Amino acid sequence: MATFELYRKSTIGTCLTETLDELVSNGTLSPEHAIQVLVQFDKSMAEALETQVKSKVTIKGHLHTYRFCDNVWTFLLQNATFKGEDIQENAVRVKIVACDSKILTQ
Amino acid sequence: MAEQVLEGSQPVDLEKHPSGIIPTLQNIVSTVNLDCKLDLKAIALQARNAEYNPKRFAAVIMRIREPKTTALIFASGKMVCTGAKSEQQSKLAARKYARIIQKLGFPAHFKDFKIQNIVGSCDVKFPIRLEGLAYSHGAFSSYEPELFPGLIYRMKQPKIVLLIFVSGKIVLTGAKVRDETYTAFENIYPVLTEFRKIQQ
Repeated sequence: MATFELYRKSTIGTCLTETLDELVSNGTLSPEHAIQVLVQFDKSMAEALETQVKSKVTIKGHLHTYRFCDNVWTFLLQNATFKGEDIQENAVRVKIVACDSKILTQ
Repeated sequence: MAEQVLEGSQPVDLEKHPSGIIPTLQNIVSTVNLDCKLDLKAIALQARNAEYNPKRFAAVIMRIREPKTTALIFASGKMVCTGAKSEQQSKLAARKYARIIQKLGFPAHFKDFKIQNIVGSCDVKFPIRLEGLAYSHGAFSSYEPELFPGLIYRMKQPKIVLLIFVSGKIVLTGAKVRDETYTAFENIYPVLTEFRKIQQ
């Protein structure tokens, strides 16, 4: 099944990409293998978030801008609060990009 | 906002509103032709507060906060503006949307602006016997409480549809100019007093 490459831009994703780049440039790994690792990373992230993450977070803030185009929602929040089971974080500006995973199976 | 009549803030012109009640305008629907073909996807990607899902609806849905309104923008260049509380606000909002489209690089005009519908509401503050009203005004009334709790009154002159509820709350729709709303309410008011429900 196809997956989004959404999580490659996360901290763990960029770290992996940097490491793979290093391995490719010093010849330890072939570029084809590196790509394969990234594709597996996309799959594993989607699966892990679906099956292993149980915690829930609510996000509240002033919705400055929203957009829906090509099945992607974009939200720009101002003065947002993230509330979890025992955490609370404030952020002056937040950008949320949400993709519909159902379109991949269609 | 400034010209909005606040209830009780100024004396009601009894010449024009013999009932002493002025229906409040709740929604204005207007249309305008921007007179140029539009690339809806480009608009959805560049403009803020826009939705475009061509699989469900063939228009960009855009909103602005002042005046708080929603616009439906079609590829043909035709636009519908809803949600304004007065005719001027509806026109101002439509102009703002046209300006947004212009700023995105389309040669938008502002052709044939027209108010298509005005919805007003008010409260006569006494309960109404809907069955009695429906019976004596059978030609204009439709009252099916199992389908909808309000009485639907299709006035012929002016051509306005009124929703009349037991509570005394009234909704008037179908007007192209606000005076039609006002006239329709003044026409129905004596009828409502006639069918006032006397509470035990």
